Amino acid sequence: MTDKNPLSPHIQIYNWHISSLVSISHRITGIINIIIISLVCFWVAFLLLGNANYDFIQKFFESYFGKFFIIGAIWSFTFQILSEIRHIFWDLGFGFEIKTSNITGLSVIFGSFILTAIIFILGRNLF
Amino acid sequence: MVQINLPQNSKVQKGKYYKDQTGSKNIRKVNIYRWDPSTGENPRIDTYEVDMDNCPSKVLDLLNKIKNEIDPSIAYRRSCAHGVCGSCAMNMDGKNGLACTKPHKEIKGDINIYPLPHLKVQKDLIGDLSTLYKQYASVEPWLKNSKKDEGKENIQSIEDRSKLDGLYECIMCACCSTSCPSYWWNGDKYLGPAVLLQAYRWIIDSRDEERKERLKKVADELKLYRCHTIMNCTNACPKGLNPAKAIASIKKMLATS
Repeated sequence: MTDKNPLSPHIQIYNWHISSLVSISHRITGIINIIIISLVCFWVAFLLLGNANYDFIQKFFESYFGKFFIIGAIWSFTFQILSEIRHIFWDLGFGFEIKTSNITGLSVIFGSFILTAIIFILGRNLF
Repeated sequence: MVQINLPQNSKVQKGKYYKDQTGSKNIRKVNIYRWDPSTGENPRIDTYEVDMDNCPSKVLDLLNKIKNEIDPSIAYRRSCAHGVCGSCAMNMDGKNGLACTKPHKEIKGDINIYPLPHLKVQKDLIGDLSTLYKQYASVEPWLKNSKKDEGKENIQSIEDRSKLDGLYECIMCACCSTSCPSYWWNGDKYLGPAVLLQAYRWIIDSRDEERKERLKKVADELKLYRCHTIMNCTNACPKGLNPAKAIASIKKMLATS
């Protein structure tokens, strides 16, 4: 085919469904997790530099943006872990039926939010 | 490479509007992707008002009605009209399928019809599948058996035969491959679900003697492992087959052999 022939529309028109949504989120959270892990390393290294730095970071975590950052990070990790468990079952050859994959996909989405809430509440000693 | 936007010559424009001439009260709007190779214009979306009182149940019937009664210039592939030949594969309502087996009642709102995604368009709803056919030929989809023809059956146990169920039914309509984002971005190297399902069909056949060579050939970072289990293929398959599972089975065989 020549360059003259147009390319038919693809991602612009194709419907999203649960598995494709979880798949793209799995990739995005994977990239975010790398960034977060690097930030955690910087955080630990910062603490070695003394008291003033500790106060600075503590203030950041107490701010609204800091809390948003923490909750986002927890969600990103829980989502990645649950989705990874789903992938392990796939690699073993289970869960390929449309119905099963929809159920596991939904449990990844909802499970990640529930786990995020539980971990955040536990971490803040709110129980 | 991932390219989200369409190239400049593929941007879709608004097209003509065909008003209903019959005066029917039961009208549906059908938006169809049009591209005419003779004009050099960009593709456009033409809208047709169709009288649904006198239209049979499937999307293909709807297209035939438009071609016969409203606009004879529209081009699409079709042959058997019974979901066996795979000619009328297209994108309806954002999902790939066979126009001859998809009831238009299942579609809510306006009916949007596009060619199969991410293909070079030849005309209107006809996409160019030559890359896919080349890839299909590359997996050598025929029985390789050194036994001489002795005028006898090549017997297969019931169990071995049942392994081909869910594979041999594939009609190569390309609904699955063209629904796969991985195939969109790496279509030149990644084999895609349709071809990999066929590859697996020959790998798992007990009568075939070249399983190892076949596995070795397909075990490639780009050919096979671009599958990230997005599951668009299984969701799209109009025959209810499961290419994602077939691909996973190849991966599993490679990991365990």
